[in-house]
Amino acid sequence: MTILDVRGISKRFGGLQALSDVTFSVPKGQIIGLIGPNGAGKTTFFSTLVGLIRPDKGSVLLDGQPLAGLKPHKIAALGMTKTFQNVALFGESTVLDNVLTAGLLRHDVDAAREDALKCLDRVGLKAIAQKQAGTLSFPERARIELARALCTGPKVLLLDEVMAALNPVEMQEIMDLIRSLRDDGITLLVVEHHMRAIMTICDRILVLNFGRLLADGTPQQIANDPQVVEAYLGRSMEKHQ
Amino acid sequence: MAFLQAIIDGLLIGGVYAVISIGLTLVYGVMGIVNFAQAEFLMVGMFVAWLAWAVLGLDPVLAAPLSFAVAFVIGWFVQGQLISRVLKAPSVAQIFLTVGLLIVIENGGLLVFGSQFRSVTTWYQTVSLSLGPLFISVPYLIAFAMSLACGAALWWFMRASWFGRAMRATAQNPMAAQLMGIDSGQMYKIAFALGVGLTAFGGAVILPYVTVYAGVGGQYVVLMFTVVVLGGLGSVAGAVVGGLAVGVIQALSALVFPIQMQNLVLFLVFIMVLAVRPQGLVGASR
Amino acid sequence: MKRWIILAIVVVAACLLPLTLDPRGYWIRVLTFTLLFAAMAQSWNIIGGLANQTSLGHAAFFGIGAYTSTILLLKFGVSPWLGMLAGGVLGGLAAFIIAIPTMRLQGHYFALATLAFGEVMRVIGNVWASLTGGPGGISVPFSAPNFANYSFKVLLPHTYIALAAVVVTTVAFEVIRRGAMGYRLRAIKENPQAAEVIGINTTRVKLQAAIMSGALMAMLGTLYAQVAVFFDPDTVFSASAISIRVALIAILGGIGTALGPILGAFFIIPLEELMNDWLSSSAAGLSQLVFGVILIAVILWRPRGFITVFEQLRAKLTGGASS
Repeated sequence: MTILDVRGISKRFGGLQALSDVTFSVPKGQIIGLIGPNGAGKTTFFSTLVGLIRPDKGSVLLDGQPLAGLKPHKIAALGMTKTFQNVALFGESTVLDNVLTAGLLRHDVDAAREDALKCLDRVGLKAIAQKQAGTLSFPERARIELARALCTGPKVLLLDEVMAALNPVEMQEIMDLIRSLRDDGITLLVVEHHMRAIMTICDRILVLNFGRLLADGTPQQIANDPQVVEAYLGRSMEKHQ
Repeated sequence: MAFLQAIIDGLLIGGVYAVISIGLTLVYGVMGIVNFAQAEFLMVGMFVAWLAWAVLGLDPVLAAPLSFAVAFVIGWFVQGQLISRVLKAPSVAQIFLTVGLLIVIENGGLLVFGSQFRSVTTWYQTVSLSLGPLFISVPYLIAFAMSLACGAALWWFMRASWFGRAMRATAQNPMAAQLMGIDSGQMYKIAFALGVGLTAFGGAVILPYVTVYAGVGGQYVVLMFTVVVLGGLGSVAGAVVGGLAVGVIQALSALVFPIQMQNLVLFLVFIMVLAVRPQGLVGASR
Repeated sequence: MKRWIILAIVVVAACLLPLTLDPRGYWIRVLTFTLLFAAMAQSWNIIGGLANQTSLGHAAFFGIGAYTSTILLLKFGVSPWLGMLAGGVLGGLAAFIIAIPTMRLQGHYFALATLAFGEVMRVIGNVWASLTGGPGGISVPFSAPNFANYSFKVLLPHTYIALAAVVVTTVAFEVIRRGAMGYRLRAIKENPQAAEVIGINTTRVKLQAAIMSGALMAMLGTLYAQVAVFFDPDTVFSASAISIRVALIAILGGIGTALGPILGAFFIIPLEELMNDWLSSSAAGLSQLVFGVILIAVILWRPRGFITVFEQLRAKLTGGASS
C-alpha cells in the first residue's frame, strides 16, 4: 500500500541544481531514512514535499492524491507535514499554544487543547506545557515541534534532524518515540546525521548527494554500497567507529 | 501629434520624477526602511530655492545645489540622531518615527512660511523651443537637463567612488561589509542624507513651474511611491525607469482625463504593480 | 472574581460619566470623539495588533462608511442604521480588494501600500462629485429626531452610541483574539511558513481579519457622519487625521491588547484638544509640530517598548502585575 509516490522531482535555484530527478515510493507504515552530506538537498526536498517550494519538474502523490501546486496548508490537511531543521516554533506563545494551533486543523479550540496535551504527553513534555516556547533549550524545542507536527494528525511525517544536539539517552527516547509513531500507523521520513540511529530504526534508507538519489535500500545494502561509502558514509562511519 | 507631444513632456518631467524619487528607493535599499517624510524634503528644497530667489535673486536651478546641501545636512542629522536609534526596533517604531518627522517638517514649513502659495518667475518660464511641429518647454528641458546631470553624478558616485561602492556593499550584505571595515553607521548617514538631498535638488529644479506651499509634499507622496514601486523598491535604476514611466503615463492620461483623474490612473498603476509584480519592473526586493 | 468587579465598576462609571458633563458643553463633544476614536483604533487593532500589519490606510473604510450611509439617506431615504450595515458590507469588500495585492508585503511596504489606498479613496471622493458632492462636501439631511432615524436634538445619545461602539469593537477584538483565529494570527505573525505547514490557510485568515477590520471601521464612519452632520473627502479619507491617528492611538495605548486603544484614545484625543487650544491660537501648525516632536521623542525613548509604553506605566502603577 503505497502512501507516498515521488516521481522525477527536480528543482533549480539560479545556477544550482538542488534536486535532480528524485524518484522513489514509500509503502505505508515504514520508517525511511534520508541521509546525505550537508547541502545534498535533503531539507530542500522536504520543503518540496510539503509545498513550500514548487518543483520545476516531477510529481508527488500522497495516498494516491496528486500534490502538484497545492499550498502547504492543503497538504497538511491531506496528511503530510514536516518539522524544521532550525526549529520554527512560535517563541512568544506557550508550549501548549504552539501545539494547540496545529490541532486547530481538525478540532475547535477546546478539543485542540485536549489533543495538544495528548501530543505533548506522547513526547514526554506535558510538564512544561505552560512555559514560553522561546525560553527553552534546543532539544526541548525540537521535541515540541515534533509534538506540534503530530497534532495535525499526519499520515506522513517528515522529521528534519530532530535528534540534533541530543545526548544518547535522549536519542534513544526519540528513537523509541519514532518507532511507536510508526506502530500507530504513521509513515515517517527521517533526515538525520546520526548514523547509528538511522541504521537502527529505519526500514529503508535513501541517500541523497548533490540533489541526486544515489542509493535506495536497506541499511545493510546502504552500508555496503561502495558509492555511498565513498561519497558520504565512509567519513562518518569513521567518526562513529 | 498630441500623443508625441505628451510623450516628450512626459519624458522630460519623468526625468525629474526619477531624481526626486531616487532618494526614497536608495534609503530602502540600503537600510530597509521607507522614509515616509521623503516628500517633505521636496518642500524643503523648494523653499530654500525660493528663498535664494527672493533674497538673492538666484535662479532656482542655480540654487539647486544649495537645496541639496541644506537637505543633506538635515538628513545627516536626522539619520545620525534619530533613525539610527530605531534601526533595530520593530518596523512599527520605524514607520512612526518617519511619520513623526513628516509631521514635524510639514508643520515646521507651515510655521516658517505660512500657508501662502509662493512661486518664482524666471525669464524662461513661458519659453519653449520648437522642434518641427512639437514644442519643448524650456523649464521642463532645463529641469530635465539638471536631473540628467544629477543622475550622472550619482551614477559616478555609486559606481566609481569608494563611498558608493561601500554603500552598495552595505546594502547587499551589512555584516560582510562591516567585516571589511566599512562603517555601516556612516554608510547609512550618507545614504539617507544623499537621498533627501536628491529630493530637495529635484524640488529646486521644478520650482520654475510648480508653486510651493507647506503642504506640497503631500501632492507628491503617492507619485514618488508609484515611481519607486514601479521601478522596484530598492533599485536605483528602477527609480529612473519608474520616473520616466510615471511621467509618460501622467502626460498621456492628461490627454484623456481631467487633472484629478490623472492621479487615479497613477494609483491604478500602483495597485496593479503591487498585485502583479511587487518587486517592480527592474528591481529585486530586499 | 476581582477582575469582573473592577470591570463592572468601570462600565457603570463609563455609562454615568456622560451624564455628569454639561450637555451642550465642550467636554461632552471631546468625550464623544474620544470614544469614537477608541472604537476606530480597536478595529484597526484587529489588523495592526493581531495580524501585525501596520495599516496606514484605514481612513479608506471610514470614509466609505460615512459616504455610504449618507448617500443612501440622501438619495433613497434609507435609515442610517441600515446605511451603516450597507457601509459595513462595502467596507469589508474594500478591505478584501485591498488585502489581495498587499497580502504578501512586509512591514514598511505594506504601510506604504495602504497609505496609497487611503489616498486613492480620497481622490475618488473628490473626483466623483456627482456621487459624493466632491470637495465641497456632503451634508447629512435633516430627519425628525428619533432613534429610528438616528437623529437627535442633543449630543448625549451620540455619546452613548459611541460608548456602545467601543464595547462592540472591543468584544469583537477579544472574541477574535481568544478564539481559533487568534491562535492562527499569532502563528502567522511569528512564522508564516511554519503556520502554513501545520495547516493554517494564511491567506484566508489574513483576509478574514482584514474584512472584519474594514467592516467595523466603515460602520464607525456612519457614527461620525451622524454626529458631524457635514463632511468632505479630505476629512473622512484623511491620512493624517484618521489613518495615522487611529494607528497611533492603538500603538501608544498598547497594540494587540483590548485595553490599549481605549487608553490611547483617552490620552491622545484630549491632549490634542488641549494642545490645539493652547498652541494653535498663536500659530497655525504649532500644536501639530509639538505633537510630532512628542511622537518622535516617545519612539526614541522606548523604540522597542514604544508599543508598550502604557503597559509599562500601568504595570508600575498596579505594582508590577502583568496581564
